[in-house]
Amino acid sequence: MIELQNLSKSFGPIKAVNNLNLDVPKGQTVGFLGPNGAGKTTTIKIMTNLITASGGKALLQGVDVVTHPKQALSSVGAVVETPEFYPYLTPVETLAYLGSIRGMHSDEIKQRSNDVLQEVKLEEWRNTRIGKFSKGMKQRLAIGQALLHEPEILILDEPTSGLDPRGMVEVREIIRSLKKQGYTIFMSSHLLGEVQEVCDSAALIDHGKLLVYDRIENLKGLSKVSKIEVISATEISQTIVSGIRGLSSIREVETVNGHTVVLTYDGSDEARADLLQAVQKLGVRVTSFSQVGLPLEMLYMDLVKESR
Amino acid sequence: MVEGSPHAQKVPSDIAQIPIIWRYELLKYLRSRRLIASLAIAFVVIGLIYALPPLLGSEYSGSRTDQAISIERSPMGIPYQSIGTFNDTGVLPDTVKIFVNGIEVPRGSNTWVIAGVNGAPSLSRFFGTETIVLFVGNMSSSNVTSSYEWRVSAESFEGNFLGFANLLIVICATFFGADAIVGEYQNRTGYLMFPNPIKREALFFGKYSASMTAGIVVVGLFYGSIALLSLISAGGIDSNLGLSFAFALEYLLAIMAVAYFISTILKGTTGATVLTFFLFVMILPIIDQVLSISGVKPTGSVSFAAGVLQYITQNPYPVDASETFRRITLHTYYPDPTIAAITMLAYVVVAVVLSLVLFKRKELAG
Repeated sequence: MIELQNLSKSFGPIKAVNNLNLDVPKGQTVGFLGPNGAGKTTTIKIMTNLITASGGKALLQGVDVVTHPKQALSSVGAVVETPEFYPYLTPVETLAYLGSIRGMHSDEIKQRSNDVLQEVKLEEWRNTRIGKFSKGMKQRLAIGQALLHEPEILILDEPTSGLDPRGMVEVREIIRSLKKQGYTIFMSSHLLGEVQEVCDSAALIDHGKLLVYDRIENLKGLSKVSKIEVISATEISQTIVSGIRGLSSIREVETVNGHTVVLTYDGSDEARADLLQAVQKLGVRVTSFSQVGLPLEMLYMDLVKESR
Repeated sequence: MVEGSPHAQKVPSDIAQIPIIWRYELLKYLRSRRLIASLAIAFVVIGLIYALPPLLGSEYSGSRTDQAISIERSPMGIPYQSIGTFNDTGVLPDTVKIFVNGIEVPRGSNTWVIAGVNGAPSLSRFFGTETIVLFVGNMSSSNVTSSYEWRVSAESFEGNFLGFANLLIVICATFFGADAIVGEYQNRTGYLMFPNPIKREALFFGKYSASMTAGIVVVGLFYGSIALLSLISAGGIDSNLGLSFAFALEYLLAIMAVAYFISTILKGTTGATVLTFFLFVMILPIIDQVLSISGVKPTGSVSFAAGVLQYITQNPYPVDASETFRRITLHTYYPDPTIAAITMLAYVVVAVVLSLVLFKRKELAG
C-alpha cells in the first residue's frame, strides 16, 4: 500500500532521510517514531508532495508520489503538522472546496461532509468561520478533511501534537475508529504511548535511517533494558544502594528518596525475578516492585542511544 | 468503506480544477474585504477628483458673456476673410452669440459661421481651441465679442482621473497578488492544499485568474465611473477611453504577474506586499526618471510603459521632446503605444513563466 524505496532527502550537506526503505501493508496502522530531526516529518512531506525527494521512490498504491503526485495523492488523505485553514471559510465550505478539487459530486460532498463532521465532532460548528476555531478544533477538522473522500491511505503527521489532554484523547479515539474501519494509516508521533496504544506496527528512525520496523508486540520484546521502581518499607541505606549497584544485571541506580530507588537493568522477565530476590537479600523490605516506562520507550531510548 | 477509494479515479483535469480555485480565491477577496477596500479607495478618489475642482472654483461647465474674440486674417483660398478664435476651450457651438461693436449679429445672417477643428489636431493646436468663427467680411478693425456656454472636454475631464488609474492598478496588484503564493507558505495553508491531487500550475492559474478578476472588477468600475461622469459633465466620452481601459487591463496583467513572481521568491507576506507596492510606485519610477535625465528612453520599463494609459486619451498624442538650458538638456519621453503594449506583454510572459518554475520548486520545508 505504501512503499518507500531508498528514499533520500538532503538539505545541503545534511541527509534528512537516508536511503529509507519501508513497506506498509493494506489495512495496517503503522507508527513512525523518532527523535526531533530524525527525518519523520521530512519523509511525510515527501509522501504528501510538500517537498521533493533527492532520490528514491515513495509509492502510494504503486504510484510514485515524486514523479506523479496528482495521481498518487488521489487515494490519500493527509494531515501534515497542524495545517491552517482559510479563516474566511466555514468547515462545510472548506470540505466543499477540497471535495471539488478531488472531483466529488456536490451531493456526495454534502453527504460526506455530514459524516466526517460527525466523526470529528464538529457538527455544531459546521457553519462557523474557521478563523474562530481553537487548535484542537482545527486538528479535528484537518482529520475530517483527510477522510472526506474516503481515501485508502491516511498519512498523519503527529496528529495529537500541541493538543490539550482532552484533544489528544479525542483524536486518538478518532484514529482508533478509523483503524476499525480498515484504513491504512501511517502516523508519525513523538508519543510512544500513543503509538503503542493505537498502532499495529512501529518503525523507528534516527538520522534519516530506519533502525527497526516490526509489530508492536515484537518490538516490546526487543527492549534490552528495563526500569523498575522499588519502594521499601524501611530506609534504603547507601550500603544497600552500593550493594544493588554491584549486581551484575544493574546498569544504573537512581535514588528518588530514602525509601524509593529506580533500577535500570538488562534482561528479561527472568532477570527481573532474580533481581527482586537479590534486592530482598540485600535487606530491602520491598513493598512495591513495578516496571517504570513503556517497553517501547525503553527500546526507543536504547536504539536511539546506539545510533548516536 | 475504504475498499477501492470511490473518488480516486475521478480527480478533475488540471484545466477543470482552475475554476474551482478561482471561485474560492475570489471568495477570499470578498470576505477578507480586500475587494471592498480597493473599491472604496477607487470611489473615494473618484469622488475627490470630481468634487474638488468645482469646490475650488473650477467648474466643469458654465456660460460666459462679453468675451473678446481674437481676429486674424484668413489664409488665401477660403471664402472667409477673417477667422475668430475663442480664448477658451469647450465652447458649445450652438450657444454662441456674436457681437460686432456691441451689436449682436444673428446666427444665419450669412456673415459668420461656427466651425469645429476638432477633427484636425494640427489646426486645433494652431488655434488653441477646437471651435473657431469664420467671418465673411474683414473684421480686423471691428470689436468682436461673444457670449456662449462652455463645457469641459471629455479628454480633459477624463485626464484628471486617469492619472490615478496607474496607482489604482498597483493597489490592486498589491491587494490581490502580493501574498497569493507566499501566504500559502507563511500562513501554513499550503499544508492543507498541497497534499491534494492538484498540480501547482492549476493552483497558480486559479489564483492568478481570481486576482485578475478582482482587479478587473475594480479597474472596470473605475473606468465605468469615469465614463459615466464624463457623459454627465463633459457631454460625451473620449473615443480613446476604451483604448486606455485596454492598456490598463494589460498593465494590470503585467504587474499582477510581477506581484506573483515576488510572492514566489519572498518568504513573508509583509515583505512581498511592501516590495510590490513600492516597486511600482517608487523604485521603477525613480529608475525611469534617472534614465530620462541621462537621455535614455526607459522603453523596457513597465512603469514607463504604463504612462500610455493616460497619454492615449490626449489628442494629439504627446511626442518626445528635448530642451537645452545652459548646456543641460532635459528630455521628456513618452511611451510609444505599440512598444508599451509589447513591453507589458513581455513582463506578463517572463514573470508568469518564472513564477511557475519557482512555485513548482518551492518547498514547504521548515
